[in-house]
Amino acid sequence: MLTQTSHKALVCIQCGKCTGSCPESGKTPFNIRALVRKKQFGSGITEGIPWYCTSCGACTIRCPRDVKPSEVIIEMRSAFIENGTVPLAIQKALENTFVQKNPWGRSRNKRAAWTEKVDFEVPHVSETESKRLLFVCCIQAYDPRCMVIPVNVANILNKAGFEFGILGEEEACCGNEIRRIGETGLFEELQEENAANLREYGVKEIVALSPHCMNVLKKEYGDLGIKVSHYTEALWPLIEEGSFKTTRPCPKKVIYHDPCFLGKQNNIFDQPRNILRSIEDLELLEFSRSRETSLCCEGGGGRMFFEVETTYQRNAEVRVLEAAEKGADLIATACPFCVMTIEDPATEKGLIVKELSEIIMEVL
Amino acid sequence: MSYALIVAETRRGIFEERNLDSIGICALLGKETAILLPDGQYSFNEKLVDSIIRVKADEEVFLNPLNMTAIIEKVSEARGRPDLIVFTHSSSGAESAAYAAGLFGFPVITDVSGYDKERGIFFKSYYSDKLFGEFKTTGGATAVLTVRSGSFKEFAAEKAAAPREEVVEGITASDSRTFVEYVEEEKTDIDITKADFLLSVGRGVGNKDEIPAYEELAGLLKAVISGSRPVIDKMWLPKARQVGTSGKTVKPKVYLAMGISGAFQHIAGMKDADCIIAINKDAEAPIFQYAHYGIVADMHKVRDALKGVLKG
Amino acid sequence: MNILVFTKRVPATQEEELRLINDGKDVDFSKLPFKVNDWDNYAVEEAVKIVEKGGGAVTAVSIGNTESDEVLRRAIAMGAKDGFLVEVDQALHDPFARGALIRNFIRKESIPFDVIFTGVQSEDDQFASVGGILAALLKLPYVSMVVGIDSVAKDHMVVRRELEGGLQERVRVTTPCVLSIQSGINEPRYVSIMGIRKASKVERKSFKGIEYDAGKESHIELVKWVYPPKKGGAQMLGGELPDICKKLMEILKEKGVYQ
Repeated sequence: MLTQTSHKALVCIQCGKCTGSCPESGKTPFNIRALVRKKQFGSGITEGIPWYCTSCGACTIRCPRDVKPSEVIIEMRSAFIENGTVPLAIQKALENTFVQKNPWGRSRNKRAAWTEKVDFEVPHVSETESKRLLFVCCIQAYDPRCMVIPVNVANILNKAGFEFGILGEEEACCGNEIRRIGETGLFEELQEENAANLREYGVKEIVALSPHCMNVLKKEYGDLGIKVSHYTEALWPLIEEGSFKTTRPCPKKVIYHDPCFLGKQNNIFDQPRNILRSIEDLELLEFSRSRETSLCCEGGGGRMFFEVETTYQRNAEVRVLEAAEKGADLIATACPFCVMTIEDPATEKGLIVKELSEIIMEVL
Repeated sequence: MSYALIVAETRRGIFEERNLDSIGICALLGKETAILLPDGQYSFNEKLVDSIIRVKADEEVFLNPLNMTAIIEKVSEARGRPDLIVFTHSSSGAESAAYAAGLFGFPVITDVSGYDKERGIFFKSYYSDKLFGEFKTTGGATAVLTVRSGSFKEFAAEKAAAPREEVVEGITASDSRTFVEYVEEEKTDIDITKADFLLSVGRGVGNKDEIPAYEELAGLLKAVISGSRPVIDKMWLPKARQVGTSGKTVKPKVYLAMGISGAFQHIAGMKDADCIIAINKDAEAPIFQYAHYGIVADMHKVRDALKGVLKG
Repeated sequence: MNILVFTKRVPATQEEELRLINDGKDVDFSKLPFKVNDWDNYAVEEAVKIVEKGGGAVTAVSIGNTESDEVLRRAIAMGAKDGFLVEVDQALHDPFARGALIRNFIRKESIPFDVIFTGVQSEDDQFASVGGILAALLKLPYVSMVVGIDSVAKDHMVVRRELEGGLQERVRVTTPCVLSIQSGINEPRYVSIMGIRKASKVERKSFKGIEYDAGKESHIELVKWVYPPKKGGAQMLGGELPDICKKLMEILKEKGVYQ
């Protein structure tokens, strides 16, 4: 069963709050308010335009009429998808997901390759007592840069005595991006496949490593009767109750970037910050735009797979410049997409980007 | 008399180098060889074959499968059926080989890259070289082969005597398929996905002022220049030159990556190149895991040294 | 114009290390996903584009096991009118055997066509031969490596075929004929899952390969498969700069990209 969030374009009063909050507005040809207007009148949409949306969700959160402009975009994309006119890079990501169950088309048989780097044998979820599933995410299962994240988190949770298992090769892409790209049919297939496995193995709880996976599993898989959380939500109580301790100091100025799918879309602001604050000597800095107003890194909504036509200053660079100005030694975040997008300009400015688990591993 | 018939591949008056592999496999099989050539003057070492059969037909007529089969029939009438007909594994070679096999009912094995003489086994690539199939022909019919470039040329050896010259005349060109013209690929808008040789530069290039020197090197190498995302992002190279998931996916024969560390997104766009050569000063750069050849060095120094070599 | 286009379901091997079983007699496909052969995808798209513009119908044909129905549904979702499955229980390794089977099928079932499209090759065996063999068996003109169809007239077509080094050859070919379509000739449309589901409602016809003497005409025998010689990671070129440059130039020459 699929929970479809439907938009209400017709009640839009064109106030422009969506455009005001949109990370693509102004610098690109993408104007969310104008697109909702076009939807109201059923006017034609210029090919290419809907693909600018990063699915950050700011418009939907800010809308006073609950129009859900981000859902309007998904519907527009769906029309292009059904029509077969899709940017080539997006098409590739979809075809790859269809064949190998991940957008990069890497071998499904290698989805659990990261477990070879873990200190202990990671069990299949069916073999656990708790039936608690660590949902890994495609990019973290395959990308050499992001693969450290599941390795770290597995080691950390294991050290904290927190039992979990994985689906291994049986895990399919969660479909969060696929749904936002507008490929509803493919999203349904992924959802059905994952849901069937969750049922078969009697999974009782899911700890997702990526905010994107967490979002879709929690909100868009229908009622699974399974508690879904992000790993920072699971880890913080373990630190608080003393089951997990870091031992070494980290005398650094760390600025935390809120991932859209963790922060503004799921209100998880404090746990990652609390985890960082629990580290000795670590000084936590804040961006001027943080928490609900955090600036999107532009990695979501399919933008991880495809580049829009215009060249402009990337938000990631804006973030890096501010971090440098504030005197940060490193930028911390809790999402693999944010790591990937921000690291590029950061390296150039001599700044380091780390996912939370990487910082924890250094102070174990 | 038993012999192998080699169908030469020529293009606009040039005798293609890969014909040597066709000659080589015949030598390896110990066959007497006759090479078929269209009208024209071709420069090659004629001593490598026993006979040269010159066909009174234009290159464009010759390289048409409908005419090639008629030519093979004429040759067979004149000197008996060959045991083996060998083509290059190229656009025209594979086309005519398949057509000839179908028309004459001969066994065909394409893209042959090895031969085991003792067992009479031909090796042929499967799944983009992930596996090789060992093939035998069954029955006594003439075998048709297309041969992979670079596989057998070392076996080509000069014969004691100069080749005999023969002529085939009276070929009537088919009118069901006719040559119209050659078309040069448009050069105005470079399509990096069509290039055989890409010189790709990455973040390691450092700054915009270094780019022209790489363009010059690409020119000297007759390579097409491309780049990874950081280079495109800064608009040091146009967007159409971007390799990677957010740019183009390329499959050149050679991908020369200079100063590219090998981000996942980039690798996905070029990993299927036949040959990847990576130059990076960081020995740990992930690109070395995907490259066939690696050079740990300063890309600028390699560039300048190569330019020196190429300019003589 | 009625176009008969052949489409094959192949294992997606690009990312996999293949494993041989039964002493190299078989490849272990048990854990591999399958997909449409890339070249055939271009061929189907090209066929659909032609009939969308000039009328007619596309019929997709697949030779394979029952699961090949998947590529027929896909072709229908792209715009083919019919899908025919010629069921064979074993892979036909010999392209001649495949060509002969197709000829027998077309003749026996009196399948009408003006033009036949095949992909230049299939991703698995890469023989690049079935189109040419089929054309010869049907006594039809043949053009391979087609990268452009410039014009379609009542009794002929003008097409461009790809040669080496960016050169193309324009040829005129009378119809009926067989064309083998090269990848890159077009940009195949995206086929959505919804589209495939809709296509499933179009009835596909199934034929038994045995009726057309499947495999009877094999001229070659696949003795077994073997692994390629092992190569581990990049071969590092060391030494002083002039040596490195020399080795580099040798590689470029060997690969045929620099003379």
